[in-house]
Amino acid sequence: MNVLAKTSAKELGGESDLRRAVDEVAECTSLLPLRSNLFEISFQAPEIARRAQPGEFAQIWVERSHIPLLRRPFSFSRADREAGVVSFYLGAVGEGSRRLRGFAPGDRAQILGPLGQGFTLPDRPGRSALVSGGLGAAPFPLLAERLGEMGEEMVWLNGARVRAELYPDELIPAGLTEVLQFTEDGSQGRTGRVTAGLSPLLKEVDRVYACGPNPMLGAVADLIEESASAGAGTPRLEVSIEAPMGCGFGTCLGCAIPLLPAAGGKEPVVGLCCRQGPVLRGCSLDWESLLRQPAHLG
Amino acid sequence: MSAAGPAFDPRVGLGRGLILANPIGVASGTFGFGFEAAALAGISHLGAIFSKGTTRLAREGNQPPRIAETAAGMLNSIGLQNPGVEVVARDYAPQWAEWPVPVLVNVAGADISEYVAVVQRLDGVSGVAGLELNISCPNIAHGLDFATEPGAAARCVAAVRSVTELPLVVKLSPNVTDIAEVARAVEDAGADAVSAVNTYLGMKVALSSRRPVLPGLGAGGLSGPAIKPLALAAVVRVRRAVAIPVIGIGGIASTSDALEFLVAGADAVQVGTANFTNPQASREIVAGSLAYAEQHGLRRFADLRWQELDYPGAPETGATSD
Repeated sequence: MNVLAKTSAKELGGESDLRRAVDEVAECTSLLPLRSNLFEISFQAPEIARRAQPGEFAQIWVERSHIPLLRRPFSFSRADREAGVVSFYLGAVGEGSRRLRGFAPGDRAQILGPLGQGFTLPDRPGRSALVSGGLGAAPFPLLAERLGEMGEEMVWLNGARVRAELYPDELIPAGLTEVLQFTEDGSQGRTGRVTAGLSPLLKEVDRVYACGPNPMLGAVADLIEESASAGAGTPRLEVSIEAPMGCGFGTCLGCAIPLLPAAGGKEPVVGLCCRQGPVLRGCSLDWESLLRQPAHLG
Repeated sequence: MSAAGPAFDPRVGLGRGLILANPIGVASGTFGFGFEAAALAGISHLGAIFSKGTTRLAREGNQPPRIAETAAGMLNSIGLQNPGVEVVARDYAPQWAEWPVPVLVNVAGADISEYVAVVQRLDGVSGVAGLELNISCPNIAHGLDFATEPGAAARCVAAVRSVTELPLVVKLSPNVTDIAEVARAVEDAGADAVSAVNTYLGMKVALSSRRPVLPGLGAGGLSGPAIKPLALAAVVRVRRAVAIPVIGIGGIASTSDALEFLVAGADAVQVGTANFTNPQASREIVAGSLAYAEQHGLRRFADLRWQELDYPGAPETGATSD
């Protein structure tokens, strides 16, 4: 049993993610309405923009009211260090995101970040596949930008159920070798799921970064495992996952995620999405438990 | 401050020599074991830290989803996830010993022998300033039993009292018919103070899936501003029942929230759910409370108390202590 081992004082004594977080009152600089209920919102938050890494997230306090009560966790979609601006790609699906959708330039929110652990950037450039489903595209513009700066070759498999939920072409950053679109109904790009596009790439890429609904992530993990057992290439898999989050910094214990036991251990480990995640190695997750969980209803 | 009046003294005592620098603490389950907040927002301003509920052995906690937001509140069903008392005593307490703020360990158990075992391990450990007996966690089987029956609550407290000289706070459940009766019972059994209240049982339904949001039967503990009026009413009832210090808890998110609990008879308060949204909440409340005291010429925070409130050991109406 290794409950809370990762949030113990030992780790905090060393290098702590939490010490990198700052809480900035941030002015909205732009709100870009996109298809359906999607939008991109940007804030002037210079310290956070300077520190944000791909896959990390911020907790946005939409307004100092009791409804909604909690901050909302969102991955950074972009972080412009020079302009001091951070951007988030959102759907207006809940109380918090709906209020953010009503923001205009000049409106203020309080942003705490960066939080969590982001994607690992490679030591030297190689080839990556970025796999997104729906809103799971959110962290990839920043990831693609930072990987591109290193000279990484990247294919982005950008999927959604329908065209209206697809991350829009015009926001995809330059520098990608290829962008493949997938919709389940064929309303844009190829008909089908991103996993269909990933299979043939597995023997060519060093890394797969994935973000989207849990079933999609599970399918990606399965593909890589099958590829490994067939001796057809085993890229390193990193996934960004979601969990209902109260605080975002490890005290409420709300965002429990099932991890596999560490080497030598037998019992599964409870991790926290906000501290051990939101980005995790594919091989560290207990997929069976994760996929058994009901979709986030909160 | 006027030159004539005595200086303001923000300190409050919780019994057995435990003196808090100010009456603002942070509630169990909303502050971990203090380390996250120490890294994020600092702790030196606090009157006290009440740790996450600690059991004899490590607990993994409940299956997700564990939390759900509600109107001006949130439900939780964490299930006492904690590393067990050995880790707390061996790894955490030595670090607390270096902190300028007393840490009281919240103790939970499934039966009296577990409470006693946890307390025995903590007794005499440097860095453990006191105990808060959690006889009222709604999220584990039997967790409510001790808090809902005055006799059982008293037996639990008496058993713990017999094995430790540490300051002993008992955290009361609001999910009872008569919270005053339980408060009196635990006072008689040797509690040095009581804290009130723990979360209210609540539930959220997802119409889209036609089921509760939280697992099992869907119940969780409701906290946040939604429960403040309920908690204030509970604190008054507890205050009228006991002479020992009362720590008010329930939806405190601002200075005025905290001071309202002091008016209602609390000697100290705990900031809870607000810590999740605003890591600076307790700091803002400490600063705001001290500023209020100065502006209003208080000599002690107890001066705020509702003058007509009648309770065991109350000063004669109109009289000022000193």
